[in-house]
Amino acid sequence: MTTIAPPVVRTKEPSRSSGGRSGSVLWMALPAFVWFVIFGIVPLLGVLALSFTTWNGIGEIQPSGLDSWKATLTDPGLPHALWVTFLIMALSWAVQTPMSILIGVFLATSKRYREFLAVLFFIPLLLSSAAIAITYKALLDPNFGLGTGLGIELLNQDWLGNSTLAMATLIFIVSWQFIPFHSLIYQGAVRQIPTSMYEASQIDGAGRVRQFFSITLPQLKYTIITSSTLMVVGSLTFFDLIYVLTAGGPGDATRALALLMYQQGFQANLMGPASAIAVILVLVGLGLSLLLRRLGGRGDESQLEGA
Amino acid sequence: MATVTSHRPSPTVSGTPGGTRKRNKAMSYNWLGGGLSWVWLFVVMLPIYWIVITSFKTQANYFITNPLAPPSELTFENYKTVIESDIVRYFINSVIVTVGAVIPAVAVSFMAAYAIVRGSNSRILRGMNWVFLMGLAIPLQAVIIPVYLIIIRLQMYDTLAAIILPSIAFAIPLSVLVLSNFIRDVPKELFESMRMDGASEWGTMWRLAFPLTRPALVTVTIYNGLGIWNGFLLPLVLTQSPDQRTVPLALATFSGQFGVNVPAIAASVTLTTLPIVLLYAIGRRQLLSGLTAGFSK
Amino acid sequence: MTNNPISRRNFLGLAAGAAGAAALAACGSSGPSNSGGGSTGGGGGAASYWSLSGPPGEPYRQAAIDRFNKANPDSKITPTFFQNDAYKQKIKTALGANQGPTMIWGWGGGGLKEYVNSNQVEDLTDWLAQNAAVKDKILSSSFGAGTVNNKVYALPVETVQPIVLFYNKEAFSKIGAEPPKSWGEIMSLVPKFNAQKIAPFSLAGQSRWTNMMWLEFLLDRTAGSEVFDRVFAGEKDAWSDPAVLDMLQKVQDLVKANGFIKGFSSIAADSNADQALLYTGKAAMMVHGSWSYGIQKEQGGNFVKDGKLGWMNFPPVEGGKGDPTNTVGNPGQYLSISSKATAEAKETAKKFFSTTLVDDEEKAGWVKSGGVPVLKGAESLFTGDDAQFLKDMAGIANGAKTFAQSWDQALSPTAAETLLDNIAKLFQLQVSPQQWVDAMNGVIGK
Repeated sequence: MTTIAPPVVRTKEPSRSSGGRSGSVLWMALPAFVWFVIFGIVPLLGVLALSFTTWNGIGEIQPSGLDSWKATLTDPGLPHALWVTFLIMALSWAVQTPMSILIGVFLATSKRYREFLAVLFFIPLLLSSAAIAITYKALLDPNFGLGTGLGIELLNQDWLGNSTLAMATLIFIVSWQFIPFHSLIYQGAVRQIPTSMYEASQIDGAGRVRQFFSITLPQLKYTIITSSTLMVVGSLTFFDLIYVLTAGGPGDATRALALLMYQQGFQANLMGPASAIAVILVLVGLGLSLLLRRLGGRGDESQLEGA
Repeated sequence: MATVTSHRPSPTVSGTPGGTRKRNKAMSYNWLGGGLSWVWLFVVMLPIYWIVITSFKTQANYFITNPLAPPSELTFENYKTVIESDIVRYFINSVIVTVGAVIPAVAVSFMAAYAIVRGSNSRILRGMNWVFLMGLAIPLQAVIIPVYLIIIRLQMYDTLAAIILPSIAFAIPLSVLVLSNFIRDVPKELFESMRMDGASEWGTMWRLAFPLTRPALVTVTIYNGLGIWNGFLLPLVLTQSPDQRTVPLALATFSGQFGVNVPAIAASVTLTTLPIVLLYAIGRRQLLSGLTAGFSK
Repeated sequence: MTNNPISRRNFLGLAAGAAGAAALAACGSSGPSNSGGGSTGGGGGAASYWSLSGPPGEPYRQAAIDRFNKANPDSKITPTFFQNDAYKQKIKTALGANQGPTMIWGWGGGGLKEYVNSNQVEDLTDWLAQNAAVKDKILSSSFGAGTVNNKVYALPVETVQPIVLFYNKEAFSKIGAEPPKSWGEIMSLVPKFNAQKIAPFSLAGQSRWTNMMWLEFLLDRTAGSEVFDRVFAGEKDAWSDPAVLDMLQKVQDLVKANGFIKGFSSIAADSNADQALLYTGKAAMMVHGSWSYGIQKEQGGNFVKDGKLGWMNFPPVEGGKGDPTNTVGNPGQYLSISSKATAEAKETAKKFFSTTLVDDEEKAGWVKSGGVPVLKGAESLFTGDDAQFLKDMAGIANGAKTFAQSWDQALSPTAAETLLDNIAKLFQLQVSPQQWVDAMNGVIGK
């Protein structure tokens, strides 16, 4: 623990020697596993099976082989929804991460007013998607909204009616809701960085910017991975806000995978294709999490686990 | 460093938390972060401000007045409506569901994450880890009907437990992923020294891994807590009677067939958010110290 | 796998059963009871009833249940009310899991047809034949949307809601014009209003079904009700009618001429912002359901009281074949009885249908809510401030040669979803009329 360098320099051998006791830890994973199997995996198997059937959601379930999969995979809506999902994921990550880090660094000092700021920043997290959607729909209304309120005509745009603007608006609102959470994580992590590192570099004459890039950022590496994991995986199943804000519109501009699934299944009553989309979603999530682990510089563990 | 069981291991000999906080004084003001934070404060507060002032407007002059101007005459009618609609009960239900789901979810996830890291040679545990990873992106909408049937079979329909049980399950995958990433970074030598001291895996988990993982535990607790607090689908499908409603469902009661009573919703949002903001303001120091415990993450 | 359909419960039971936990296995294949999702009342004739919460309907729905329960203490009805969108999700999940209520509230049309095809609802035809007195009390035009394959599966209840053209009289006097009597007049009014910085039409384009009302009227006025009837009947390529292309072109012409308020695609109907545009004078006209009257009255200050709100049936299109008395909208709301309910619960529901739902208090209640009841002979009840509006709505509803149900309700959920999607794109000018027709032909009969 006296090491100042990031803990990546640790040796590998102990991990081998400690592995022989897996029997004694196995039971610890059981409560989570059993719980998750009952409420997660069993329903998921049901969904997998449903993807090979035709079902309107209320009547009889007809086995129909690969029909649903064929319909889903040939639907031009699918690649589009994948693209929208990716876009939301990438853009919301790219907006939230730098902002959260900067705000987190700023808030890390314990000045009274900054603590006050941090309390105010916390509020958006507590609002449900329905409340957020109602608020923003009101503020973005081109006639009764923000622009009228502030007397700035520029703000009276077709925020939710223009494809590009709607996507930008969505990313903005997601950021509005979650930047506070991620800056909170970064705030904690920044306070964790040993002061001596800054003092040493100050003696070397390093400026604030150089310190940020040579000390703060590298020290935050694992926090960035954690926060990115939450953002990326979270954005996959991100559904409520899009549904109440744009319902996927205008047209299909914001119709992400989860929303496409919902509309197919619960609005168009096509449970078969909806189940196929759900399976695709699960696979995308699995792939992403494996990718994230590799990016996290944990190649050794992945190899060990025979990924 | 055999004394790692200290609940607040300091990263360096000189780096006491107090010292950490002082460091910025030595430097120039962080103009970029500062400027951004103030701009962001405005961005965050504008909608909040709108919610608060709207909650004091009547539905009749909601569209007629300037959306950002405070109401010329305050009305408490909306708050009266909201309180009469039993919002306090819904709030308590939401608290029960959130606390009742998050604590067990984080506890079992932590145990599972510990087992997965420590037993990474076990095929069974690796398999379990895969199952958890597969669960990361299960869309709740897709599995809601089977979940509904399971709850009915467990004879729990229309109880708060019906919301709690699946909420726990759906919080597990991401919690396990984040927590196991953290536990992996605990230097292996520390586990070794615990073992040499004769500690059991159970003891090592709570005395070594738990304090060192506190930042991650706090992170997943908040993350899951917020998700469950704001959850809409599970309460909607798995409960029915007004007695079991949670706050997000209660918001829907202010939406009529043809329109939404925006001021009433603003009032209920204000009313249900305020206690938590206060709680957060009071508990922030503890929360932050939770986030800063552990080693150099 | 066999070719036989698997019963839903067996299938999903398989999923639940696979959990293998002894606790679950104990319940075995007996499955959940069909008494209705958590209907707690265990009594012999106890029935459950699910419907929509909130104004304007909930108080009158609750009052009906209360009246019935008071008169029938042995066979109580337990009501549960849900918000509109929440209800749609809840009822679908409940029926999917075989846990629906005894009485299912709905909009009739395509959604009802789906229930019928899935054997979820009782056939009421014979019962109505035996209880002719009940049938006689209800407007006959309201039965259409509750009828599938010539059999009645849902009782029309509550109110008739035609869609009408509302206008702001002040806006018209500002430009010195009269309300439009034809499509041509509408188009010539557009630049006049725009010149005065008043939007010709308010539209909550984000909600999609609001745009749809335009298509419904325009198609009817140009080609009559037959074109959509062919679509409804599932005829191949039924949308490929020159009248459809003509109608779609008219819509896009109006969009291009700035006939709708700027940024209409960002306006959502659920906060009533579209109606606020009309009563605040930012827009001169609005095509909307008759229920909008009550909202404008409540929220628009003195707008309605001072007589500034005008209304009329949608005007004819020059040279169009449609009957100008035709209207579209909701010919009623509908109540079905679940086929999975117990015999006793079904009896209770039928008793509710034949007594409370057609009594005079029911009629008076819905008039009081600001609507035209589906029950006959309500005209004498139209008194007070709203008398003229209610008389006119009843006149439009009863005088219509055809009272067509809104397309999204009439079509199957699958087709309705594609329809709404394409209508939004049409108003965005993202698809051409021909592309629209091609996309819609693709889902005919689905």
